[in-house]
Amino acid sequence: MTKPIVSITDFHLSIGEKQIVKGLSFDINAGEVFALLGANGSGKTSTIRSLLGIYKPTSGTLHIDGKRYTPEQARTVGYLPEERGLYTRSTVLDSMVYFGELKGLSRDEAHEFSVAYLDRVGLADKANTKIKKLSGGQQQKVQLGVAIIGGPKLLILDEPTKGLDPVNRKLLLDIVDELQKGGAAVIYITHLMEEVERLADRLLILKDGKARAYGSVAAVKKEFKSNSIEDVFVSIYNEKSGVNHG
Amino acid sequence: MDKLRIVIKHEYMTIIKQPSFWIVMLAMPLIIGLVYGLSYLGNKSSEDRIKELAKDIKNVAIIDKSGLVNKAVVQSNGLKISSADQTAELREQVQSGKTEALIVYPDTLQKDRKYSVYLASDDLTKMGAVTGLADGILKTSLFLPLGSAEIIALAQNGAESQVITYKNGQESAGLNEYVVPGLFVVLFYIIFAFSVGYMLTSVSEEKENRSMEMVLTYINPRNLIIGKLLAVILVTLTQVFFFALMAIAAYFVMQSLGNSISLPAGIDLQKLVFNPVTIAFSAAYLIVGFLMFAGFMTATAAITPSTKEANSFSAVFYIGAFIPFYFVMMILTDPENPVTRFITFFPLTSPVVALLRNTVGNMSLLEASLALITMTVFMVISIWVAIRAFSRGSLEYSSRISLGSLFGK
Repeated sequence: MTKPIVSITDFHLSIGEKQIVKGLSFDINAGEVFALLGANGSGKTSTIRSLLGIYKPTSGTLHIDGKRYTPEQARTVGYLPEERGLYTRSTVLDSMVYFGELKGLSRDEAHEFSVAYLDRVGLADKANTKIKKLSGGQQQKVQLGVAIIGGPKLLILDEPTKGLDPVNRKLLLDIVDELQKGGAAVIYITHLMEEVERLADRLLILKDGKARAYGSVAAVKKEFKSNSIEDVFVSIYNEKSGVNHG
Repeated sequence: MDKLRIVIKHEYMTIIKQPSFWIVMLAMPLIIGLVYGLSYLGNKSSEDRIKELAKDIKNVAIIDKSGLVNKAVVQSNGLKISSADQTAELREQVQSGKTEALIVYPDTLQKDRKYSVYLASDDLTKMGAVTGLADGILKTSLFLPLGSAEIIALAQNGAESQVITYKNGQESAGLNEYVVPGLFVVLFYIIFAFSVGYMLTSVSEEKENRSMEMVLTYINPRNLIIGKLLAVILVTLTQVFFFALMAIAAYFVMQSLGNSISLPAGIDLQKLVFNPVTIAFSAAYLIVGFLMFAGFMTATAAITPSTKEANSFSAVFYIGAFIPFYFVMMILTDPENPVTRFITFFPLTSPVVALLRNTVGNMSLLEASLALITMTVFMVISIWVAIRAFSRGSLEYSSRISLGSLFGK
């Protein structure tokens, strides 16, 4: 059996007096798209930040590729956070090359990747334009480029299609597909359940810091006797006191 | 180490590629040059005009009731003294414009030290010329009994003092001793004015443009902060190098124009003193003080949610750095004063106060070392707080982080 790319065991997180995550455990394997779902404030972003070492967990283990993540493994990970932005005063190419270097690529490698990526997403002519002069959708494409530069083993996308038009949404999802086929694990955070149905192999629904549903898309639907993930989600959030399925 | 280099390069290039960086740097010497040039030309032109006018002023009446004005002095100016009985009549002539001016030295001049000048117009230049003439006549008359023109000039203008000082029984360099360490005070303010703020904007802009979370995924906060600090130091060195080049260029331009540069207070570039201990302390105060303020600025930017709020908070640090100027005489002359002692060790004032006291050498080696140790402790604390605030507050986009969350587990 292959080792999972992400392994989280009995993870608890408290910030101040507030318990954000309560005993969360799950694994993600190479080549799978894993949907991490939940309402705002359910603990999704805190879990990701803890996985990436930005937050220190109160207890439990969070491993990427068999060990606790540190920025030294930056090349392993690509992260597109929900609160995302780039250096608005830098040019597109400078920004991408900077992040590429931070992830451990040589300047030449980062430059080569960036030029090819910008060409693919139709931004080749914007390479030397300052980020602040790009439209929201163009900036989002650059942000995705920053996340995937270096070919990460784990790609974490927090609402990646938010604000994108259908053409660019398809382009982004195609890129995610390619990475997945290349063996990368993808953590996909979204509120759009049709994207989950289309992309995800497995999912986890968080409510109040606890896992309320966990498994393959088909298994979760079966467990909740629902035809869609959206119905599962709604039923979990309509429960007054839920049962922990995680 | 490699990531540190990448951050330093990125931060440095981001700052120096900004047009505003070069505009501010070029504007400062240009504005100084422009103000200096305009004021020189303006003053010269005014002086010349007053002198020209003074030559032409012949239609001026003088009445001396004090008995202090010398007739010969008045005559040497092409004028004459009128009788005191004519005061009212001459005043009417001035009023009607027949006479340009009337100068009346009253009999109470000695007691009240006041005299009157009546002018036919309110032209400021003419006013300057006539009052200058009246003052000159009075002073020359009073000094005339002294004898020679040289003695009169000496009495009127004084003489330049050449101070010779002794230290430990040997002739010392006097003010020349203070020049080199004094330059560190100037350097501190240049760095403070130009560079410390970069830390504030660098961090708060990253928060505002939401790039922080992506950055923190790939580099730890300590490396990021240290990289930013080192980049700001490099930016500062660039500025200092640029200003030094401008100063050298200005020196050669002045020389080529035939102007000798006279330095104030008898300072002689040939006699400057380079005391290694004093310079070492000044350099240490400068670097540690800069890092301490940079740490405070970073922490402020990390704690507050926006650049605007960060700027408001940072005013405290700017005030702290400028407070010593209100106490400058006390700092330089009264080292035993408890207030001087307090502000030598108080973190926000200590860099400037220690630099000033080190310049005039009114600190013992023990006190100088204690000041440096205290400052270093505060520098470490400020950087520690900055890194902690950065780790905890950099992802708080809409609210300030509380002290509890900053210092809690």
